[in-house]
Amino acid sequence: MRGQDGFVELRYHSKTSRSVQVEKGRVERTQFRRRSGVGVRVLDAGGWGFASTGSLDARSVRAAVDAARAAARASARGRRGTPPKLARGQLARGVFEMPGIADVLDRPLEEKIGMATRFEEVARNGSSSIRSASCGYSEIYEEKAIVTSDGAEVATRLVRPELRVQAIAERDGQLSSGFESIGSTGGWECLFRDASGEELAERAAAKATDLLSAKHPEGGRTTVILAPSIVGLLVHEAIGHTVEADFVQAGSVAAGKIGRRVASDLVTLSDSGISEFYHGAGGTIPVDDEGVIAGNTTIIRDGVLVSYLHNRESAAKFGVEPTGNARAWEYSDQPLIRMRNTYLSPGRQTLEEMIAGTTDGYLLEGARNGQADSTGEFMFGVQEARRIRNGKLAELVRGVSITGIAFEVLGTVDAVSNEFRWDLGSGYCGKGQPAKVDAGGPYIRCRALLGGEQ
Amino acid sequence: MDEKKLLELCDELVTSARRGGADEAEAVAGSSRHVQTALENDDVHTAHVNEETTFGLRVLVRGSLGFVTANRLDRESLRACIDEAIAQARVMPTDPFNGLPISGPPAEVPGLWDDAVAAVTVEDTATRAVELMERVKGVDSRVRVDSGSVSAGTHRGALVSSAGTRVTECSTSIDAHLFGMAVDGDEVASFDYDGEASRAFHGFEAKLGELGERFARKCLFGLGAERARSYKGLVLLSPEAVAEFVLPSLTSVMAADAVRKGRSPLASKFGEAIATESFTLIDDPTRAGAVGSTATDREGVPTRRLALVERGVLQSFLFNHYEARALGNGARSTGHASGSASTLPGIATMQLELAAGSTPLAKLRDGGSQPIVYVGRFSGSTNAVTGDFSGVVKNGSLIERGKETAIKETTIAGNLYELLRSIVGVSTERRAVNGVTTTPSLLIDGISVTAG
Repeated sequence: MRGQDGFVELRYHSKTSRSVQVEKGRVERTQFRRRSGVGVRVLDAGGWGFASTGSLDARSVRAAVDAARAAARASARGRRGTPPKLARGQLARGVFEMPGIADVLDRPLEEKIGMATRFEEVARNGSSSIRSASCGYSEIYEEKAIVTSDGAEVATRLVRPELRVQAIAERDGQLSSGFESIGSTGGWECLFRDASGEELAERAAAKATDLLSAKHPEGGRTTVILAPSIVGLLVHEAIGHTVEADFVQAGSVAAGKIGRRVASDLVTLSDSGISEFYHGAGGTIPVDDEGVIAGNTTIIRDGVLVSYLHNRESAAKFGVEPTGNARAWEYSDQPLIRMRNTYLSPGRQTLEEMIAGTTDGYLLEGARNGQADSTGEFMFGVQEARRIRNGKLAELVRGVSITGIAFEVLGTVDAVSNEFRWDLGSGYCGKGQPAKVDAGGPYIRCRALLGGEQ
Repeated sequence: MDEKKLLELCDELVTSARRGGADEAEAVAGSSRHVQTALENDDVHTAHVNEETTFGLRVLVRGSLGFVTANRLDRESLRACIDEAIAQARVMPTDPFNGLPISGPPAEVPGLWDDAVAAVTVEDTATRAVELMERVKGVDSRVRVDSGSVSAGTHRGALVSSAGTRVTECSTSIDAHLFGMAVDGDEVASFDYDGEASRAFHGFEAKLGELGERFARKCLFGLGAERARSYKGLVLLSPEAVAEFVLPSLTSVMAADAVRKGRSPLASKFGEAIATESFTLIDDPTRAGAVGSTATDREGVPTRRLALVERGVLQSFLFNHYEARALGNGARSTGHASGSASTLPGIATMQLELAAGSTPLAKLRDGGSQPIVYVGRFSGSTNAVTGDFSGVVKNGSLIERGKETAIKETTIAGNLYELLRSIVGVSTERRAVNGVTTTPSLLIDGISVTAG
């Protein structure tokens, strides 16, 4: 690094993952994967270059620095805008080690296989309608060291275990499925904090069985109460992506709205590198991949948009501090602006009060998948929904998706429960490369469009 | 690392694994070089250069499986990986269906390697990225490129197994992608994405130009979008919607592991009609120069052209070696083991083609007094097990009485397996989506459309 022109960032990144898959009573597979190397970013002559090497000797790393510098000059020649600058922010120094590493890594493989086998059996025996079940356990262990020419010098270690259980039920030729999944940053006490694996397996089987007799919903605009997992999808997909500063600069619907009301005043929404409320959120990072301390960023406060999510380059453009949101999946990926743990803050009501106060609507639970658009339009798949009629839970429906315009939907939030749950810890965000994230919140009531039968 | 060194690496892994206690072993190694210029926010952002060699080692010890993949090639790391794989196999239960295929030599698939692509430098990708941006902006400056890239790469692979399989393959690829939207004052249209991919350099520059213009037009179409109206009836799926919404879910339940595990609604439908007669689906990884083509699958089994659905009738499921053994009765792999050095073999199609129909697209779009929602992209959720789907129409329009209006906040819902039996029109025109799926547009009846 000494004597180098421009800005140079070296990131040693080792990622080791192990997985076990059990299905229909059979241990299908176990895998072990290790990727390690050094990713090099150089900002020189007004352009960015990136190169990587899987070899850790000094000669290979120097060669990667030279290749990144040559790439930076190539990109600079094609660039039309002003040369990038970097905001400094709180650059980390020292060693940051997250808890639970020994707890996960020191457990023998036989224990992990035995656990997955046990949970699959519980799901498979959950009811006479269950035709098949599966259980997958996986864990990721990461070590990083980040050094930049302007002062970051940090090492981090963490572990992320996760578990998924699925059950398929069948009756009279009709199939339905139910699944449960959990993921955390930390040891197994974090992973199984809210429910044991057996409880998750039982729930997956019960869901699959109950959905066999569920009908499809009527499509249309309606009142919905969203469970924490769906709230997590909402805050991640519908809001989070639109406030990532690279997307803001391209013209996302959040552009130009800092200081403006974008939601009901019951809504306070944040993204944090810390596991707020309790330990173990699945997207926890102490330091981002530019070496910036990853704290808590309030995005919406009492309904007003107050911040975007930044890396060092976008922070410089906007004249703010970096928020610690630069993340790279593996050593050969360059850091992009990504979320971490995104959540809505809890309110004052109870879920029971919210249901009782709903004349006609749905309670939505069990996030499937979600996508969001530059227009703020979002779509979420939901595992199960229960109709609410005159303040009481009624029939179960299946095959549900909800959509809406994010800021419009947040503007209709009229009730927020007093509890909190991280509920997307097994989730991966995709933006050209994966990122481990988490999301959650309380229950909220709002208005949205339900996709369904006509 | 060249093919000779990759073979030597694989030989060393297999030999050492057997010496270490494995009864059978298979090593796969891949070495790739990749140059790319990434676009961000309407400008060139970062130029990348990546080179990596990875390997995967699969071992069987008394019928029990272990698998390791890594990218560290020093002696100590290789030793540790071999020990890990054998240690795994020693705690895994025996599975009588584990085994390594014995395959004959594959037929060559021409056109997978192009010296001109191998010679592309990172500077070349930067130049072409600028040209791509200029093409987009030349259509309309309201179109914003949020991100994009121009890339080129080479891949060399080798596989050696104790069953006697020994293959190598080299390939090149060049591709470009764009992601963005149109912005006009306060109005932000729906984002869209598009891409082109090829094995060969010749003809790619023309594709790049077409990509820029096509992408810009798609983005602009979303400006001024209005809400549609709710009905149950006709929906026209674009080639992109067919390739990304219909076919992935359908082919996932054609995989033999889905059938064996009770996750496929097609399990009992072999030889039966699952779609209208207008639906013929083929996977052909032997097509010369095609992006998804390859001479052998992940296990070294030669690939072949396979009819999956012929005139609506289910003709075949997809097998790798494990699933063929699990089925028994002399079943053989269809050469559909998917994956790379980094994964155990899965099952997937490689180069799909859905047959063209007999109706020009312009005629399919003419519903007369019946409304038709055109689906440019489908952003939704499909449960392949049940077939239920529900989601948002993206870059779509409502076509009614000769008038077409861009739409927003409109969902479609239904069941995939009923959709296949409700195809009322197939276009004569087809498009290759991302180079690996060639498909026409499909007109479907009986779909629920819900407008916000």
